[in-house]
Amino acid sequence: MLHFGVLPLLALALQQPTELPPSPVKRIEVRPSTRTITAGDSVQLDVRALDANGAPVPGAVLYAKMLGGEGEGTIRPESFWLVASSVGKFPLAFSALVPGTLPFVDTTSVEFDGVPGPAVRVEVNPSAVTIVDGQSLRLSALPFSKANDRTLDSVRWRSSDPKVVAVDPAGLITGLATGHARLTASVGGAKGGVDVRVVPSTFSRLTLKPARPAVRQGDVVSFAVEARDGAGKVVSDLTPTWSFSPGDGELGPDGHFVAYRPGAYAVTATLGRRSASTTVTVRERDVRRSVTVVGRLPRTGFATSEVWIHPNGKVAYLGTHQGGDRVYAIDIGDPGKPVVVDSIMANTRLVNDMQTTADGNYMVFTREGAADRKNGIVIADTHDPLHPKEVSQFVDGVAAGVHSVYIYENPQYGKYVFITNDGTGAIDIVNITDPAHPTRAGEWRTDRPDASRYVHDLDIVDGVLYASYWNDGLVILDIGNGKWGGRPDKPVLVSQFKYNLDSLYKDVEDVSHPGFTRGTHTAWRQRGGHYVFIADEVYLNGQVEGAKDASSSRMFGTLQVVDVSDIEHPKSVAWYTPEMGGVHNVWQVADTLYLGAYDAGFHVFDISGELKGDLRAQHREIASLNTADMGGVVPNAAFDWGVVVNPKDGLAYVNDFNNGLWVVRVNPKKPTTPMIP
Amino acid sequence: MTHLPRRPGTGAIVSLVCLALACAPAPHQTLASATPVSAAATPTPPDRDYFVFVASEGNDQISLVKFGAGGARVARERKIGTNPTELVGPHGLYVSPDGKWYYVSTAHGTPNGALWKFSTANDEQVGRVELGRFPATVQVAPNGHYAWVVNFNLYGDMVPSSVSVVYTDQMLEVRRIPTCVMPHGSRLSPDGSRQYSACMMNDELVEIDTRKLAVSRRFMLRKGEERGIDGALSAAGGAPAPHDGHGTVAPTCSPTWAQPSVDGRIIWVACNKANDLVEIDGGTWTMRRRIPAGDGIYNLAASPDGRLVVGTNKRGKSVSVIESASGREIARIPTTRRVPSGLVISPDSRYAFVTQEGVGSEPGAVDVIDLRALTRVASVDLGQQAGGIDFWKSEAAAH
Repeated sequence: MLHFGVLPLLALALQQPTELPPSPVKRIEVRPSTRTITAGDSVQLDVRALDANGAPVPGAVLYAKMLGGEGEGTIRPESFWLVASSVGKFPLAFSALVPGTLPFVDTTSVEFDGVPGPAVRVEVNPSAVTIVDGQSLRLSALPFSKANDRTLDSVRWRSSDPKVVAVDPAGLITGLATGHARLTASVGGAKGGVDVRVVPSTFSRLTLKPARPAVRQGDVVSFAVEARDGAGKVVSDLTPTWSFSPGDGELGPDGHFVAYRPGAYAVTATLGRRSASTTVTVRERDVRRSVTVVGRLPRTGFATSEVWIHPNGKVAYLGTHQGGDRVYAIDIGDPGKPVVVDSIMANTRLVNDMQTTADGNYMVFTREGAADRKNGIVIADTHDPLHPKEVSQFVDGVAAGVHSVYIYENPQYGKYVFITNDGTGAIDIVNITDPAHPTRAGEWRTDRPDASRYVHDLDIVDGVLYASYWNDGLVILDIGNGKWGGRPDKPVLVSQFKYNLDSLYKDVEDVSHPGFTRGTHTAWRQRGGHYVFIADEVYLNGQVEGAKDASSSRMFGTLQVVDVSDIEHPKSVAWYTPEMGGVHNVWQVADTLYLGAYDAGFHVFDISGELKGDLRAQHREIASLNTADMGGVVPNAAFDWGVVVNPKDGLAYVNDFNNGLWVVRVNPKKPTTPMIP
Repeated sequence: MTHLPRRPGTGAIVSLVCLALACAPAPHQTLASATPVSAAATPTPPDRDYFVFVASEGNDQISLVKFGAGGARVARERKIGTNPTELVGPHGLYVSPDGKWYYVSTAHGTPNGALWKFSTANDEQVGRVELGRFPATVQVAPNGHYAWVVNFNLYGDMVPSSVSVVYTDQMLEVRRIPTCVMPHGSRLSPDGSRQYSACMMNDELVEIDTRKLAVSRRFMLRKGEERGIDGALSAAGGAPAPHDGHGTVAPTCSPTWAQPSVDGRIIWVACNKANDLVEIDGGTWTMRRRIPAGDGIYNLAASPDGRLVVGTNKRGKSVSVIESASGREIARIPTTRRVPSGLVISPDSRYAFVTQEGVGSEPGAVDVIDLRALTRVASVDLGQQAGGIDFWKSEAAAH
C-alpha cells in the first residue's frame, strides 16, 4: 500500500509495482580474466556494460557488490578496487542500471580467489635428520607468506649431493650412500633447509621403546627407536620412518602415536632394510561419568548470558541478554537452591561479559544496546558481593559497545581492564587502579587494510593476552610479561595463529550461502599447561528452507587445541567438533575442560596428558548434559553459553542462554567391567 | 602497537547524538494553547482492523500489531537473525507497495548491517543483503523494485556515509551513493523521483535524483543560514567555507527526518536539537518557515489527506500534531512509554501508530493515536527498543 500521493484511496490500495522495461545491457564484462588476488594486495577491475552486440551501453551505472568474504576483504564499488586482506573467496555481483529500465544483474560469473602472498619463509620439519643408507623418509616443508598464510606453492626440493641423498618432488628422501647432504626446500626466493646425515646400516639390533605399552584411547605414546651396533654401542640420533596398523589413530614423524579405538596396534620404525615393531594394547579410556543437576535457577524474564563466580565461592553473577538490563547477584551458598538476592541495573540491553578483580572487591561488566546509544563498561563495588553497586563507568571511545572484558592486575603497573571495542575492532586498555576514575591507557589493533576488523574475546595469563580476533585468528600479545617488551599500555605482538576459516567450514557454506558468519570467538590459555583452547562461532547465512523455530537453524564451531610450548610458533595439534551445535565458551580446571556448545548443551572433556588428534574419537568426553527444560525464556531447547567451575564446591555453574543457570556435579566414576572390543 | 589518532571530539560528537536521541527525557509538557482540529470529544472505535509491522532493536523481534475495535494486540511475532547470542538489531522497517513483503534494516554486525526481506503472509525470510555500517531508515520506491536505505554509521568515523539502493527483486545492492555524515530519516517523494535524507552531523538536507542515482541538491538547515548549497559534500561540522576550509561547527539543527508532503512540493525536516521543523519549498529550494515542535522532534509522517504533519518528540515523551497549512501545533499527546521513535499514519488518515523504545529492559510499545479526536486510543507492549514501523493493511473487522 502507498503511504503518500494524491491518488484516491482506492487507487492507492490497488497500486502494483510499475513494470519497467528490461535493460538494454546483456552482459557485464569484468577484467582481469584471471580471478585470483593475493592476500594483502588489491586490484582495480575494469568493468563494462555491453549490449547484445557487445557494444558498451551508454549511461549505464555500474556497481559491484561482495556476496561473501566481507571478513576477508572489500570492494570499493565506485572505483572497483578489490582489496583482499586475507586468504578467502570473493564472490562478486555486478549490476548495470540504465535509468528507466530494470537493472541487469550478474551474480554468478565472477568469483575471485584470495590466495596467499608469495612465500617469504619455508618451515621444514624436522630440521636435521640422520638416516641409514637405503632408508626413505618424508620431509615436510610448508611455505608461508608475510601475512602468515600457508601458501599453495609447490615446494622445490634439491639435494646438495644427490649421490648421497636423493629427493623426489614430494620431499621423500632416500639415503644412497654414507655422507652428508643439505636438502633445500625452496619456493621462489624463500628457502628452508634440512641437514641430512646418512650412516651405514651397521647396527645389529633395533629396539622400539617403550616396548608393548598398554595405554588408553587418546593417550599419546612417545616412541623412540634404539639402535645398537655389533659391539652393543648405541647408534644415536637416527630418524626412523614410522608406520602403524590398523589405521584408526595418528602417528607423527616424531614417533608420537595416539589410538582412537581400543584394540591392538602394531607400530613399526624402519631404518633402511631393518625395522622394529611393537604392539600397543589400547584399552577403553573409560572416563565416562554421569552428571547430577544439583541446582537450577530458571530465568524467564530475559535470555541469560555470562556467569561469573565471586572469589568467595558463595556468590554467582549472571548477565542478561536480548533486552536485559541487569546482572543478577545469586546466593549459591547452598548450590542446590541458588536464589537471586539482588541485581545491578545499568543503561544496557545486553550484558555480554563480566569479571571481578582477584580480591573480589570490584566487578566490571559490559554494556551494549543502551537507551541513549552510549555504551561502554560499568565498574561496580562488590565488597558486599551480593549487593553490587556502581562506582563508575567508562564510555570514552567505546560508545559503539563493549563485548568482552578481562582484568589484568600487575604489581608493577597497576590494575587494568582490557576491553573489546565494537566500533573499531580494537582492544582498548583502561586503567582501573582507581576504580572510581577509570582512564584510557591505550589501544591495540590488528593491522588490516580494510575495515573488517573485529575482536571478540580476551584471556590473560602471566602477562600474556590471548585475543580471539575473528578473521585474524588467535593473536598473542605481551601486555606485562615483559619477555617481548610489552606492558599494559603498550602491548607487543608475540605471535598470531591464523587458519583458513572458509575451508574449515566449507560444509556450512555448502548448506547455506557464501558470506556466512564465522570467526575465532574464544580463546582459553590452559592454566598449568602449554595449550590454548580456541573455538569459532559459526552460523548459517539464511535459514533452512521451509523450517521454523529450532529446525530453522543450528550453530557450528570447532574447538582447536593450539600448542604454545613454542609460543612464537603456535601450532594446532588436536580438535573437537560437536556432532551438533558448536563450541561457544570453555573453562579449564586441571585436566578437565568444560564447555558450552549451544544447541548441543554442556560437555566435559578429559584433557590429561599430551593432546593429539580428534578428542571426540578418542572418547575423551567425560560427561554431557542437554540443558533444556520447560522453565525458561525458550522452553525445552538448549543453547548453552558457557560454564564456570566454582573452586569452593567443585561444581560446574552452567549458563544456558534460553533458560538460566544450572548447577551440575560430574559424578565420581562408577566401577565398570571392561568391554571386549 | 598501532597508534591511531582518536577521533577529535569523539565525546562531544557522541554527546550531540545523545542529545538528538533523547538521553534525558524531559518531563511531560502540556500544550496549553492547543485546540483540536475536530470538535469531537470522544473518539469512536474503528470499524476496520488495522495492521502494522514493528521492529524491536533491543531483542531482535519483529511484531505484527493488530488494532481494531477491541484495542491493540500482537497478532504475530518472529525473531530476526540466525544466532540469538549475537543481536542484529532491527532498526528500520518498510512494507512494499503491493503489501507482499516487508523489509527490515539491521544495524549491528561484524561490523556491517544488512537489509532483510520477509513475506507479510507468513514471515518467511526470502532474502538478505549486507549493506554499510548501521543501516537505518528504509523505504521502497513506488515502483516496488528498489529499496533506499541510509547507512547511518552511528559509531564510525565522522566521515560522509551513504545511501544504499537495493534491487529488491534479487535483494542486491546496486548503488551506494555518498551523501553526508550520519544520514538518517530518509523518505522518497510521492512519485519516487527524489530521495531525501537528513544529515545529523552536517545540519544539511540531501536530495538524490533517483534516476541519475546521484546527489542533486543540498540544503543548509542551520538557523540564520538556511539556503541551498552548492559544492562538494562536506565532512562533519557543516558546509565547507569557501576561503578557510578550517574549523568545524557544531550542529544547531541536528536533523533526524526528511518528510515530503503528499503532493511532493514541500519537504519538512525535523530539527531534533532545535525542536522545530524546517519547511522547505521543493520547487524554489528555499525555506518557507520554521515550525515549533516538541522537545527532540525525531521522526515525521504526513497524513495522506494532506492536512497534518505528525512527529515524535523523543526527549519530550510525546507526539506533536501540526496543521500542515497553518503550521500550528494543534495537539501534543503524551506517549505511554519513554523515547518515542517511529510513526506511520494509516492511509485513511485516521490513525497514527507511534513506537516507543522504552529505557533499559522496559518493553517497547506502540501507541495508536486517533487523529480526529487527537487522543491516544490504544497501546500495546512489544519487544525492547521498538522503533521501525510501517503500515501493512486494513480490512473489514471480523465478526
